Amino acid sequence: MSNTTIIRLEDIYKIYGSGETEVRALAGVDLIVEQGEFCSIMGASGSGKSTMMNVIGCLDKPTSGQYYLDNVDVSHLDDSALAHVRNRKLGFVFQQFHLLPQLSALENVILPLVYANVPDRERRDRATEALTKVGLAHRLNNRPNQLSGGQQQRVAIARAIVGQPVVLLADEPTGALDSHTTEEILQIFADLNAGGMTVVMVTHEPDVARRTRRIIWFKDGTILNPALAPTELNQIMAVA
Amino acid sequence: MDFLESTKMAVKTLTVNKLRSTLTMLGIIIGNASVIAVIGIGQGAQRLASEQFESLGPNVLFVAPGSSQARNGPRGDLPKTLVLEDAKAIASQVPSVQGVAAQRQSLFPIVYRNLNTSSLVVGTTPEFLSVRSFDIAKGRFITQQDMERNTQVVALGSEVATRFFGNQDPIGQEIRIKGITFRVIGVMQSKGAFLGSNQDDSVYVPITTQANRLTGRTSPYGLDVNIISIAAKNEASIPAAEFQVTNLLRLRHKITGDDDFTVQTQKDVLAIVGTITGGLTVMLAAIAAISLVVGGIGIMNIMLVSVTERTQEIGLRKAIGASERNILIQFMIEAVILSAAGGLLGTGVGIGAVMLVAAISPLQAAVSPVAIAVAVGVSGGIGLFFGVVPARQAAKLDPIVALRSA
Repeated sequence: MSNTTIIRLEDIYKIYGSGETEVRALAGVDLIVEQGEFCSIMGASGSGKSTMMNVIGCLDKPTSGQYYLDNVDVSHLDDSALAHVRNRKLGFVFQQFHLLPQLSALENVILPLVYANVPDRERRDRATEALTKVGLAHRLNNRPNQLSGGQQQRVAIARAIVGQPVVLLADEPTGALDSHTTEEILQIFADLNAGGMTVVMVTHEPDVARRTRRIIWFKDGTILNPALAPTELNQIMAVA
Repeated sequence: MDFLESTKMAVKTLTVNKLRSTLTMLGIIIGNASVIAVIGIGQGAQRLASEQFESLGPNVLFVAPGSSQARNGPRGDLPKTLVLEDAKAIASQVPSVQGVAAQRQSLFPIVYRNLNTSSLVVGTTPEFLSVRSFDIAKGRFITQQDMERNTQVVALGSEVATRFFGNQDPIGQEIRIKGITFRVIGVMQSKGAFLGSNQDDSVYVPITTQANRLTGRTSPYGLDVNIISIAAKNEASIPAAEFQVTNLLRLRHKITGDDDFTVQTQKDVLAIVGTITGGLTVMLAAIAAISLVVGGIGIMNIMLVSVTERTQEIGLRKAIGASERNILIQFMIEAVILSAAGGLLGTGVGIGAVMLVAAISPLQAAVSPVAIAVAVGVSGGIGLFFGVVPARQAAKLDPIVALRSA
């Protein structure tokens, strides 16, 4: 295992129910994501890609198997330890943005730093910096309902990176956006990745997946192909 | 995340929906206000009663005919065993006693020229003034000479004097009580009401005249009296006086079994009044406390709704690093702020009500610090208690489900 491995999954199972009604959402997944990668997880709905994302995001615990995040085994941590991991090592971007409507853009971005006990003055500086990175330096004090969908998602990205996570996790980040805005958002992800940020994205859109550099193809709870080149996507899409 | 941070966040959340927060607090506001008002007014009633008893005269004891059991029966059955000679004996033989005044009283028609009224005619002795702390405003009161000579003289209560004579000087005028002519010798200083009965609507005649001319003597034991008021030397000597008076009367009445008289101190009477008003206050406060609980349930209800509405917020907070504990604390603080703020506002309203009552009625209602402490403490506690269920529900939410609920 190299020091630059960010995510290492070993024989991960996630099983819901038991006996006749047992559902294997994940059935023996092995995966390694290195520092600085930009990859997307694809697969038909029900293939287990969302469960995969939840496990990687420490929102869900695997039934069995080992998960090393940033070289630390996080597969058996309790709730408060997992909350700490999510806070310090992970950044989330969701399809529905999930901004708090009563808070300004700046306050939304500050939120993870509040849970991280970052001192007051440092919070504002770091949040402003993160919003500047996504091109929203002029929108610090606007409420979410005063921003367009693309701007809201950029606030959400700023919130995800403000804690300087080891990996940025995005779950259908462009699912609620039009094609023009999708392009803007994907460019931000690409820029962040160029700056060294590891990005893992779940998507069902081939056009979005093509913008990443590695595609992890899921089927029936297992990884069918762990490192599809974007150029190979058309072939596998035809088969599937 | 520290406590201050959570509090700031809770305040921010609550101020977003001001109307809802206010309505949620309303139950607690009303509950708290009524607890404080009821206790304040109840204590005011008790204070008023005790002040009125103190106005009876300092260190006073009362002796009334009949045992305490008999006194609870029909009024007409009281034995006429207590007589003027008993009062004289107490005055001369009990060392801890400073003064003794006997009274016998009946309601009689009183006429002055074409004016007539019906007032309490009190037959008493010269000591009445000092023992019962009454003062004469004009003229003089009954004297020892009046007693010995059965003179037909009367001292008027201030209200009777005003009713009959207006601004005229009543001294020397003649009025008729039960058809018998009495000469006015004095007017009493106004004393005010005592537990609702007007003490200024009485007239005072020598006890001997009252017995011999107005009612006639009806007791085989002597000149019977309704009540003997006794002033002890000082507060410390009240128990001794009670004991000595009781013993003396038992000897004089040759009692072997049950007493045919009752000795009561101000404290005894006050204790009875205190028991009644205290009981009422407790009962009303209990009813008011129920509304506090209802207010608490209101808070729980709204917090539960709030948890459902804010499922996504909770999911997001968890995703970005809030632990179950953080979420639990956040929702608990919201509930406690609602109830404590409601408690404070209710306290304000309650204090206002108490001051209003104090301003417009003779009840000297006063705000009780204990009531405030209890009410605010209880409402904060209610917030904690009723906040736990919604807060736990919020804390236990699965972040995945919460985030998907869009």
